Amino acid sequence: MNITNLKIAIAEPSFVIRSGFEVILKRTHNIKIQLIEIPSAELLIDTVKKMQPDLLFINPLFLGNFELLRLKEHINTPIRYIALVSSLLDPATLSQYDENINIYDSVEDIEQKLERLNEQNEEKDNAEEQQTLSTREKEIVVCVVKGMTNREIADKLFLSTHTVITHRRNIARKLQIRSASGLTIYAIVNKLVELDEINHPHAEI
Amino acid sequence: MSDLISDNYSMLLVMSRFGIPIGVGEKSIKEVCKENGVHAPTFLAVVNFLLEEVPPKIDYKTLSKEHLIVYLQHAHDYFLNFRLPNIRRKLVEAIKDCPKDVAFVITRFFDEYAEEVNKHMMYEEHTVFPYVRKLLAGEKDPHYNITVFKKRHDQIELKIVELKNILIKYYPIDGGHLLNSVLYDIFDTEQDLASHNIVEDSLFVPAILELEKEINA
Repeated sequence: MNITNLKIAIAEPSFVIRSGFEVILKRTHNIKIQLIEIPSAELLIDTVKKMQPDLLFINPLFLGNFELLRLKEHINTPIRYIALVSSLLDPATLSQYDENINIYDSVEDIEQKLERLNEQNEEKDNAEEQQTLSTREKEIVVCVVKGMTNREIADKLFLSTHTVITHRRNIARKLQIRSASGLTIYAIVNKLVELDEINHPHAEI
Repeated sequence: MSDLISDNYSMLLVMSRFGIPIGVGEKSIKEVCKENGVHAPTFLAVVNFLLEEVPPKIDYKTLSKEHLIVYLQHAHDYFLNFRLPNIRRKLVEAIKDCPKDVAFVITRFFDEYAEEVNKHMMYEEHTVFPYVRKLLAGEKDPHYNITVFKKRHDQIELKIVELKNILIKYYPIDGGHLLNSVLYDIFDTEQDLASHNIVEDSLFVPAILELEKEINA
């Protein structure tokens, strides 16, 4: 399916501008947008860390003297930064951003820019993303549905617990299943385990 | 009132959760609310909140917290005693032809989910609402405040989304009309639970925060 999900955070103090963007963003076809509004600078870093948006629209004035580079260091996850330009700004400042959107841009311009950003996102996703599980990951699924702890899985497969946790995170991302009982359904349907091997209470990842 | 419901059928649930039966005739929203003893501004606040793309500015002080609680409790009753059992019955019926072990783990998943929703809502019923009712009566509880709830309140619709994804991706045989209908119900419930949570987080919690401020002032 062509519809993609995009998590966008808007860091902009003006309610009018935020709401305006919200309306435009929601009109964009083929992209399902989840919007996070950040009305004040104090909330910026915490919100971005917690919500992990794909794109951060930010009014450069919002940052004040705090530079984008320092913000990137603070946040330290792969998001793209889009300047939300509402006044005359130094081109050098703007060049640090992945894209600029001016408040006088037409709706079509904004949609085009958004589509472009979304395509880049998909490319990135496709490049690193394979939906099917590797053999190792399947082994881990089997252990999880048998109710083993990360420690036990690590010991059995001669891995570090850290590696087990990384595998589990990748499994959750690939399958979009986070709970042990959800993985159980996956494992049974794909005949990775038999029902009588797995009767035990469940725990969450 | 009938215009509102005809244009937005999901408002039927809102109406019923405020304790307003259908059969509203030609009466206006204000009249219907008055007849049923419902605080009209609170009813409208919930309606507007759920219908507007951009949430309207709300004066939380004017909301009737008592009526909000009634609304939320009716919603809980609907999910726990009607919606989820109803989906479960249909689900069990829909998957009866798929391999026994698959049917078993799907049902178990659903039961665990229903239990989670139950716990989530019972916490509100047994802890949050009594706390607010005492607060409304002017009694302060030094050991609890609404921020505690705000922090631990999670999105209960996420796990049912997972069930839906699993069925769509991995269901091993042709599920037929009934399974499609179950999926429709799940989509619907997912939306409904999400808006229920939004009302709690963005209407109820801020209203109680205001109330706490007033009482502590």
